[in-house]
Amino acid sequence: MRDLYDRLTMAFPLGELTEQRPDLAFVTVPREQLRSLLLHLRDQEGFTHLVLLTAVDWLEEGHFQLTYLMNNRRACRDLGVRVMLARDPASMESIHDLWPTAATYQRELREMFGIDFPGSPRVDEDFILEGWIRTPPYRRDFDTLKFSDEVFAPRPGRASSDPAEFMKQQLYPDKT
Amino acid sequence: MSLSDVLSPFSAWKNLFRDPVTIPDPLNDRPGAPRYRGFHQNDVDKCIGCGTCEAICQNAAIDMVAVAEIATKQGDSGLRPRIDYGRCCWCALCVDVCMTSSLSMSNEYKWVDHDPDAFCFIPGVDLKHWDSAELGYRRPEGHRLTGTERVPMGELEPEARADSFVEIVAGYDIEQAKLEADRCVSCGLCVATCPTHMAVPEYIATIRDGDYEQGVRLLYQTNPFSNVCGRVCTHRCETSCAARHEGDAIAIRWLKRHIIDQVPHDRIKQIAAEGRVSEPSRHQVAIIGAGPAGLTAAFDLAKAGHGVTVFEALPAPGGMMRYGIPEYRLPYDKLDEDVDVIRSMGVEIRCNTQVGKDVSIDQLREQHDTVLLAIGLHQGRSTRIPGSEHQDVVSAVELLRRITFGERFDVPTTVAVIGGGNVAMDIARSLARMQRQQHGQVGVTLVALEAEDLMLADREEIDEAREEGVVILPSRGPRRCLIERDAVAGLETVHCVSVFDDQGRFAPNYDDSDIQIHDAGLIVEAIGQAADHALLGESLTEALEWERNRIRIDADGRTSESWLWAAGDAVQGPDVITAVAAGHRIAASMMEAFAGTSAQTH
Amino acid sequence: MLYQPDRSQYPSRKPDGSLDIDLSSGKYLKLWQGPQHPGITGNMSVELTVCGDEVVEGKTHVGYLHRGFEKLMERRTFIQCFPIVCRICVPEPDFNEYCYAAAVEELAGLEVPERAHWIRTLILEMGRINSYLMYLGGQAGALGQGVIGQWTTYVRDLMLDRFEELSGARIYHMFIMPGGVRDGLPDGFDQRMEETLREIESTLADVKDVMFNNAVFKKRTVGLGYIDPAIVDQYGVTGPTARAAGIAKDVRRDQPYLVYPELDFEPVVGQDSDVFTRADVRRRDLLMSVDLIRQILARMPRSGAVMAPLPNVLHWKIPFGETYIRGECSRGEYGYYLVTDGSGYPRRVNVRGPSYTHAMALLERLIVNCNISDVAALMVSLHTYPPEIER
Repeated sequence: MRDLYDRLTMAFPLGELTEQRPDLAFVTVPREQLRSLLLHLRDQEGFTHLVLLTAVDWLEEGHFQLTYLMNNRRACRDLGVRVMLARDPASMESIHDLWPTAATYQRELREMFGIDFPGSPRVDEDFILEGWIRTPPYRRDFDTLKFSDEVFAPRPGRASSDPAEFMKQQLYPDKT
Repeated sequence: MSLSDVLSPFSAWKNLFRDPVTIPDPLNDRPGAPRYRGFHQNDVDKCIGCGTCEAICQNAAIDMVAVAEIATKQGDSGLRPRIDYGRCCWCALCVDVCMTSSLSMSNEYKWVDHDPDAFCFIPGVDLKHWDSAELGYRRPEGHRLTGTERVPMGELEPEARADSFVEIVAGYDIEQAKLEADRCVSCGLCVATCPTHMAVPEYIATIRDGDYEQGVRLLYQTNPFSNVCGRVCTHRCETSCAARHEGDAIAIRWLKRHIIDQVPHDRIKQIAAEGRVSEPSRHQVAIIGAGPAGLTAAFDLAKAGHGVTVFEALPAPGGMMRYGIPEYRLPYDKLDEDVDVIRSMGVEIRCNTQVGKDVSIDQLREQHDTVLLAIGLHQGRSTRIPGSEHQDVVSAVELLRRITFGERFDVPTTVAVIGGGNVAMDIARSLARMQRQQHGQVGVTLVALEAEDLMLADREEIDEAREEGVVILPSRGPRRCLIERDAVAGLETVHCVSVFDDQGRFAPNYDDSDIQIHDAGLIVEAIGQAADHALLGESLTEALEWERNRIRIDADGRTSESWLWAAGDAVQGPDVITAVAAGHRIAASMMEAFAGTSAQTH
Repeated sequence: MLYQPDRSQYPSRKPDGSLDIDLSSGKYLKLWQGPQHPGITGNMSVELTVCGDEVVEGKTHVGYLHRGFEKLMERRTFIQCFPIVCRICVPEPDFNEYCYAAAVEELAGLEVPERAHWIRTLILEMGRINSYLMYLGGQAGALGQGVIGQWTTYVRDLMLDRFEELSGARIYHMFIMPGGVRDGLPDGFDQRMEETLREIESTLADVKDVMFNNAVFKKRTVGLGYIDPAIVDQYGVTGPTARAAGIAKDVRRDQPYLVYPELDFEPVVGQDSDVFTRADVRRRDLLMSVDLIRQILARMPRSGAVMAPLPNVLHWKIPFGETYIRGECSRGEYGYYLVTDGSGYPRRVNVRGPSYTHAMALLERLIVNCNISDVAALMVSLHTYPPEIER
């Protein structure tokens, strides 16, 4: 992976290379350079297969990480390209023209994370959720427990005791 | 495409003459596989209600509920898991994690009921026909999701420690402590067993998080003697530990010590002082005896803004923690650190001040609002066997006290110790060290009335004593001390068949045919201690209510005199942590008594 | 062939490139296939625009099975995620268990015992057989051959019996845990497995006679749903679908995992890239799995640990990191992208199911100009499972 990284850094301002395994590494690239880097990887370096495109919400740091995982089947190795995006408003250039299948990923990211990909086919259509009006659910600030408490009713009669608390009530109730 | 492509499909007709493959009666004939994960079974007698199953359930299908027939007791919360099959996903993580292997799954998977609520029940309590099913998922051997083995504690090897009073136990380093703390499942069963109900799971969690200051904060909420208890506590909590059922109990005592070892003393002082009431004290309290009970009460009272004076007869504070426990188990400087924190709370400790001699109890009563009597048990009991009045037949407490004083006395080459408790071990091991220093070899014989497995001393004390060369002879009762030419020459013992009678009363039964004589130039009696109540004076002794030889106290530690409380070994025993708990209780009780009353003017 | 070779100019397009479909013209009809429809795989639907009996546009609609697994996992500890991952794919759940476990093991630095690797490989191949058996029934069923489904369901049930005795469950096995596998093989497993494998082989011989050597099946499927090898990477096509297009893509050989480096096999490849070839590649791949299971049982170690020592799973924390683990499932590349942040919970889990690309972008492309009666056969030939699209 080092060899590839050395070649790429001559043309692209890349961050540190994280070598997870001999056949898997991750690298961060500024969002402006993403498209040219992906094109270069696809056409010059044999990374023709877009394995997945997904996002990670680093809520505390205030940004989204987009991961474009690229696979070179002949060399049997993968490179994960990370792009850091501002969370609000989150928007990224579409790559559906490079990989038609990316449109699906982008549609999902739009719905689940609220990241826009202007120009991506059907990006504003509902994908999995219909009529969702709350926070995009895969964002870290969407509280699933709160949501489920609001939407669903618990089964009546369910209650549990904490062993230590219960023992206190039973064995030494007078003490605070 | 060929003709065969047209004909070949007709080969399907051959199945016309085949038997059906379906099972004719699936309701009766198809038991689940031997490993099948079907409806739960719970051996409720084995279950300790630790709630680990509930904690691991990813779907919140398990509730811990009280069961009428099962009482809460030490080490068993009395709760039992109830499973909601509307949520259960049959993953069996609850079975895998179960601390006692009480929970398992039967191979029964069929159950029809018109009532949906029937599918929420307590296995083992709400009886089901599969409760006795032989087959089903049991946790495979060796398949454990929580650590089972205690991280070994670094200790001085017998050769290195046998002639020195240097502390034996090294204490965990951070990595070891994290590993050991990791094993705790945070069930909290231990909390009820601890006399002072320390927040054990919470402070162990601070080790995992590396937040030692929070750990110290939690320790000081319930115990100002963490240096001491982290070393010599009888750690009864560990007997209630959920991990002990199928593995080693968590080393709760060593983890406590680890926390206190990690934080600098000055910082501990700051943390202990958090929440201290700064208004000038209103009430004055006198405490007699600077042992764990007295000093704990002093700590609480002083922290709440009251004026506390502790009167200690001996030259230094600590009571039995200093004058009873040998230095190799509890270094004096560690005790001093705990005492220093208490002093820093504003507690005045007057050492070398004997109540009844240097100051009378009536004076204390006049000058203070309340008085706490926490004098401990500093008088050794005697066996009263023939020859025991000789000057070289001594009590263990007295001898231990002299060792702490730093007295350099000659130990004979042979010593006999009578008694099988921890005090006997303390003195035997201390004398063995001195013998090795003075003579290069050990000649200590310890005789205990109880059989080996019933001896009162901790197992590790017995083992370590043996490692250091002490000869321990269980089931032997002392018969007489042999005196030759005015000097002690040996101890005669007889085989003890049983210690208690059918009613459980102390009534040793001896086999007179089995007599042994143990060479001894010094005989030490370590069969129990008594309190010295002389300081009370006649009129107070008369006025107080007694229960056998102890002052009668109520649950709060109050005596029959409204101004006097009593605590510690002298009234209840048996260990430091019980004394600490009593100290807290008395401080609370005194403060309750203060509420609404104005302070005496002094 | 039923159609003109080049129908790509039909229907016509507007200058902006969008399809020129005027529904009010009466020439076109909107038709929903699914979500409840015998010709659909699982719970999804395809919105078809047809002109006569020819499809001019198809849009895949999903959302009937969304349970938000990826989000649920962010609220569960690492061990608590283990029982839910299998639910992401019903017919072949084991890849979820394996990929998740392997990702956790890699980031947590756990060393899995050798024996567990063999048992995991065995389970994955057993799952592959089940998945293919289900597919064969579906593929034949989509063309009206119900009997094939009955046969394959019978032998699949035998394999479920083997799963039951090995793992304690038939569908959601929950057997591959982070750290290894729960237990070793039960006594007598090899023999019963051999009987099952023979039954499968004999059933497959029948399937070959009745389904593949069948004039109707050939007539309906040869040439249908052609996938140009050139678009395989553009559309993220993997697995048997790609291999039927002559591209020998097989993760088991390309980036071997578990004990595949020690097993003797060659990826099954086809050339014609149509529905028939895809079915045939899967049938042959199934037979290869039968062979692989025999190899595994003959060579796997029979004693030794099956689980790595785990830390206390109740407060198991994994350091900051990210990784991707892939495996070759019956439908293509299955993968887990796991991001950890040092806490006791995954920061993000992304499941890459092959159906995600196959059932969406690829299907929407292939379905154009297809005859409406062939839609079901085409869709089944992509071998998609909707739950892994929605997760």
